[in-house]
Amino acid sequence: MEIEALTGILLLCILVSFALGAPVGFALGGIAMAVGYASWGDGIFNILPNTFESVLFSFILLSIPLYIYMGQLLTRSGIGDAMFNASQLVIGKLRGSLAISVIGVCSMIGAMVGIIGAGIMTSGSIALKPMLDRGYDKKLALGVIMAGGGLGILIPPSVPMIMFAASTQNSVGKMFVAALFPAVLAIIFLVSYIIISCKLNPERAPLGTGQEATMTPKEKARTLRDGFMSVLLIFAVLGSIISGIATPTESGAIGVVGAVILAFFFKRFRLGMFKMAGMETAMLVSVAMWIILGATLFSNFHLLMGVQDMIASFTEDLGLPPLGVIILMQLVMLGLGFIIDEFIIVLMCAPLFTPIVVDLGFDPIWFGILMILNIEIAVQTPPYGFALFYLKGIAPPGVTMLDIYKSVTPFILLKLMVLIICMLFPDLVMWLPNKVMGP
Amino acid sequence: AEHNWRFANLYTRGTAFGDVYGSMAENIEKMSGGRIKVKMMYAGEGVSTTGILGAVKSGLITMGAHFQPMNAGELPAGIVEVGLPGGTADVGELSVLFHEKGFNDVLSRAYGEQGLVYLNPYIQPPVYLLTKKPINSVEDFKGLKLRAPGAYGKFVRNLGASPVSMTWSEIYTGLATGVIDGSIGSNLIDHRDGNHVEVAKYMYRLPLAGAQVLPVIVNQKAWNKLPDDLKEIVKAATAVHARDQMTKSRLWESQAVADMQAKGMEWSPEPSKSDKEAWAKAGETLWDEYSKTDKFSAELVEILKKQ
Amino acid sequence: MVKKIFVFYCSGIDRLVSFIGKSISILMPCLALVIAYEVCSRYVFNQPTIWAYDTSLFFSSYLAALGGAYAYQKNAHINVDILYLAVSSKTKRVFNILTGILAAFFMFILIIVAYEKFGEAVKFDYRKMSNWAPPTHHFWMMLIVSGALIMLQISCNMIKDIYYLFTAQDLIPEPEIDADQEEA
Ligand code: NA
Ligand code: NA
Repeated sequence: MEIEALTGILLLCILVSFALGAPVGFALGGIAMAVGYASWGDGIFNILPNTFESVLFSFILLSIPLYIYMGQLLTRSGIGDAMFNASQLVIGKLRGSLAISVIGVCSMIGAMVGIIGAGIMTSGSIALKPMLDRGYDKKLALGVIMAGGGLGILIPPSVPMIMFAASTQNSVGKMFVAALFPAVLAIIFLVSYIIISCKLNPERAPLGTGQEATMTPKEKARTLRDGFMSVLLIFAVLGSIISGIATPTESGAIGVVGAVILAFFFKRFRLGMFKMAGMETAMLVSVAMWIILGATLFSNFHLLMGVQDMIASFTEDLGLPPLGVIILMQLVMLGLGFIIDEFIIVLMCAPLFTPIVVDLGFDPIWFGILMILNIEIAVQTPPYGFALFYLKGIAPPGVTMLDIYKSVTPFILLKLMVLIICMLFPDLVMWLPNKVMGP
Repeated sequence: AEHNWRFANLYTRGTAFGDVYGSMAENIEKMSGGRIKVKMMYAGEGVSTTGILGAVKSGLITMGAHFQPMNAGELPAGIVEVGLPGGTADVGELSVLFHEKGFNDVLSRAYGEQGLVYLNPYIQPPVYLLTKKPINSVEDFKGLKLRAPGAYGKFVRNLGASPVSMTWSEIYTGLATGVIDGSIGSNLIDHRDGNHVEVAKYMYRLPLAGAQVLPVIVNQKAWNKLPDDLKEIVKAATAVHARDQMTKSRLWESQAVADMQAKGMEWSPEPSKSDKEAWAKAGETLWDEYSKTDKFSAELVEILKKQ
Repeated sequence: MVKKIFVFYCSGIDRLVSFIGKSISILMPCLALVIAYEVCSRYVFNQPTIWAYDTSLFFSSYLAALGGAYAYQKNAHINVDILYLAVSSKTKRVFNILTGILAAFFMFILIIVAYEKFGEAVKFDYRKMSNWAPPTHHFWMMLIVSGALIMLQISCNMIKDIYYLFTAQDLIPEPEIDADQEEA
């Protein structure tokens, strides 16, 4: 069968099974096996062992369980809330301030994790409940988590950036530095959006409830101390990465141990709480991993059938002006985000596109940054996006996929603005890395 | 085409090594007059690099170029095949070892047992060690934390260093922050591609093993379906490929070194005679250890010792 | 009588899956501990272990795969519920059955392939590539069990759905909230 026809059939199967409300991971795996059997025969089943081994034995994916666990322990022991209580005590009078503190926390989480799943699920574990508890608009809260969690691959360390640099032989360090401008720009846009949107719709972000107002000075001091300690834990985890004690993945375990110690320290450790945090994490991890398993099986099948050749031949004879080529490539990557995950997009597109881009006279690092921004948007764009699924996993019951689709729209537009600015003004992206590390 | 094959290799699209495998695939098509069509699968395209061996075994992939240390647990003899620490760098010697002294025969049986046809081996440049601090004498290895998988882990432990297990995508940050003090790359070109010189600039002069010998393997069932003339054509194409690998990888290795030197790479000082002895000694004990892993490894080490 | 058999079968499977799902979560603290131990042993004692890397991967893979059935029981797996939430409860059951067949097919293939791989792993004594080189056969056995548990859970959900389609009644009334879920 022609790869174009096969791709069409696969997409149709996805749409039908999603419409029927099938569990995403099982549907993707089932479709790959069924369509594979019809088009290839039973030999295709041999794709399973390697896929399961490579996903389940992937060490970088361990940051997902470890960081979610840290987040769950912090939240269930009340230490995570302490962080936001304290921030409300200080800046609670500003409308939307809680969402702004969440962006702050997400940025710090982004500096700890290097993959998108860990970014979103950790941010969601720690920061979603405090916003919903205080009566924040559900859509605003979900969107903030999605946008903030996505910073995980934009703020260094970032696994997709390391993969891009390796497959195109560019400097990882330079790429990390180049990502700082879009990261800061994204954070500024997010914070501005929160402030403006809350000004226009005050009901989206209620001001600090009576809780802070009625506190005795002693309670206030305690809240501030608790908040300070929990922020300190985040800095300790960051510090363990920067000082070379642990890798970004391992540092999640340091965070877990730190959270348990803090819980004891604050006399908030309960065996039941500990057990529930473990059970909740196990459930979330299982849900996330079965999605990854099914999706990887699906994309491996699609790759074996030659989807990469389709992309390659597509870029061969373009006959477009340089910027047109760049835009078209980005549309392709956004489209690919419909069916495959962040790592495969880099593995497939970086070596295919970068040489063309360099031939056209563009800087490969700049193009790599555009690629990362694209991936970040692609995984958040409905109907199919890993980030959307992760967010639904972490959201409280009652949040529907439609809520999530609606909630991400304004934030995707913000990220699109960041992308367009970076695309139109390469100098803004490349100024700092060229300054620091030479052109 | 009469035969539709898939050929998986370890390298990503657009890399120099990737292109060599790509031209081997094209050669098979051309030499067979289009009777065998070979679809090239680059790294991460459908099978992970660690899974190439298994995928060829099961027939999912017809032909594969895997890296034996990644599959040490499935086919231990591959570790002896690729080259134990302390092995020779001499191309002529290696050629005799494989073609005349019986390595090919033992390995054909070892791969054959698992449903694989062992084709012509080819030679790639050796494994080197990159460190954050210069190594002035082998004493300096004591206490270093080095990312060194499998057989190389045992080797660096013999030198007094501690082998660390680390996934490839964390090596860069690991070196940058100092989680590890150094890392092994599968060759000098790999070191360049991983950008590791940005964060650790001293390359040790002695390679861990002389040269690396890698095979091309084919699924037995797919092979049996070929008529004899096509079998000969595939074999001829692998011979051309082996020559390509030899000439081109030398060139690329020197280019990679030049690239890295431009980025600040330096060689650690020339090791002394006693350093070289200590280095060789660290490799020696491993031969016996690896000969114990399975019957084929034992046969191979036996042949090595007779040399 | 038939109903009794169904109830017995379904509640039995529910309990088995829930028991395994909950017990397996003990691996979560173990996983964190193993990695924290490795970091400590490497950084403080300058002696990295040879076993922590593989052990942590085994723990996390068991945690992820074996938990799949319990997540299925709890309807925790992510779905795109836009149309699903808009249809009648009978149509929902039909959807469940259709998507259950697809998932069960996937699990069936998983079981068969993992079984073959298990045999191969035992025959050739497959190990991980690391220095420590632990055997991997148990990983394939674990996948067989994971796939089987998910299939059992799907079969039990299907019986409930079919029963509902015929009788418009739940086979087993909505269960009380678990005691240990309450205490959180
Ligand atoms: Na990051
Ligand atoms: Na998408």
